Amino acid sequence: MKPAVILVGADKGGVGKTTVSRVLLDYLAANNVVTRAFDTESPRGTLKRFHPGITEIVDINHTPDQMKIIDTLNSAGAKISVIDVRAGQMGATLRALREIGFLDAAQAEQFTFVVFHILGPSISSLDEIAEIAPFVSDANYFLVKNFINETTFFEWDPRTYASYFRKIKHAGDVTIPKLNEMAFEQVELSGVPFSAFVNNQTAEGDAAKYSFVLRGYVRTWMRNISAEFDRVGLLATLGAKAPKR
Amino acid sequence: MQRRTPAYIVCSPQARAGVTTVARLFGDYFQNQRREFIGFDTDPHETPFASRFPREARVTNLSVIQGQISLFDRLLVNDETPKIVDVWNRSFKHFFAIVREVGFIEEARRLSVEPIILYVADETTSSLESALQINRQWPDLTLVIVNNEGAAPMGAEVHDILARYPSEHDLQIPPLDPIVQKIIERPGFSLSRFMLAPPTDMSIVVRTALRVWINRNFAQFQSFELRMTMSDTPFLS
Repeated sequence: MKPAVILVGADKGGVGKTTVSRVLLDYLAANNVVTRAFDTESPRGTLKRFHPGITEIVDINHTPDQMKIIDTLNSAGAKISVIDVRAGQMGATLRALREIGFLDAAQAEQFTFVVFHILGPSISSLDEIAEIAPFVSDANYFLVKNFINETTFFEWDPRTYASYFRKIKHAGDVTIPKLNEMAFEQVELSGVPFSAFVNNQTAEGDAAKYSFVLRGYVRTWMRNISAEFDRVGLLATLGAKAPKR
Repeated sequence: MQRRTPAYIVCSPQARAGVTTVARLFGDYFQNQRREFIGFDTDPHETPFASRFPREARVTNLSVIQGQISLFDRLLVNDETPKIVDVWNRSFKHFFAIVREVGFIEEARRLSVEPIILYVADETTSSLESALQINRQWPDLTLVIVNNEGAAPMGAEVHDILARYPSEHDLQIPPLDPIVQKIIERPGFSLSRFMLAPPTDMSIVVRTALRVWINRNFAQFQSFELRMTMSDTPFLS
């Protein structure tokens, strides 16, 4: 299994990047893929709050931190690194990765490079695709429609979306369905990974008293997202063994 | 050994099928045996079941998440206290959609809570289809087909109609004379209180008819409970 970097980002804020990163970490853990994560919301990271054991806060524009991520890809115990890119830093991060030669190394197949580009409901999200496209020609690029924060992608015309989508070869699209607001809020308050919430566990691993109904909603929501990741063949892309379902 | 806690879910997709009568009979059955129960009325507007049992039953509005939590989280408590849910016909689809989405049946089994569907049948194909759908979705779920002869009479073809329903168990609620029916529909009239102390000013004919009707229903419930207990006991089943 080659080391892999999964970049989760968007140039707009509030589109649910960290939520997608969290779901991704749960999905990989459920499939026995050892993963580490980097939270670029320096100095305080939301991702680290939910996955403190495997997450490190870094400043992606800071050379020592770039070294911490890239130079350890081969030596780290975890072969998969998820980077939750802070709002507005997607373009800058990709530029930084190009400058340090990471994109070339990915092209030479030394690493697997996966980009999850989280799209918001506004048309400006579609313009981001055009900006990011030049950097991801050799990446496994997934456009993520995240419905968790919004019920509809109100500004989108399906034909406009399709025309943007066609601009990028090999792009896949992933849909994150809506989660009941109260269930989402309860997970936020509990400060645990979605999987721990479903399993009724506190951050310390003790038995919790979360509502069964809310856990049920989260369980179904996670199952649907796992089906989406399975559908796009994420585990195969990462070189991990897909489990029998 | 702790016994499984039954959760009786009384339902029908049709209006006026006699769901509340069945839920009420079960409530009075437990009260008549001086046993506690916890009831849930999913009609937040008219609350026909909760009005009969203001101390035991609560109103839950399934269209809001708080209502869903107050119902399903409580149903999952394995405290050996029977639960009765009167599913409003307008909540029927939503109720089973939530059951499916949150994985209620599977979780209930894990926690030794036994959901028992008391499905009040009628002659419509949509009702039959809904019962078949429930059976397809959860083939191991205890599905009891209730023939409420007073509320949803099926005429001469009753046996053919009921034979199409998927069920290992059935209950038959006999019809009541309209005069007696009117009496039991009075607000505040309790079947269990009637059984314990019948009103002295009530006609002896009405008293007898009502007592016979109640006894027939309670006897079926008791027999059903016994069968369920025996099926829980490996060396008796």
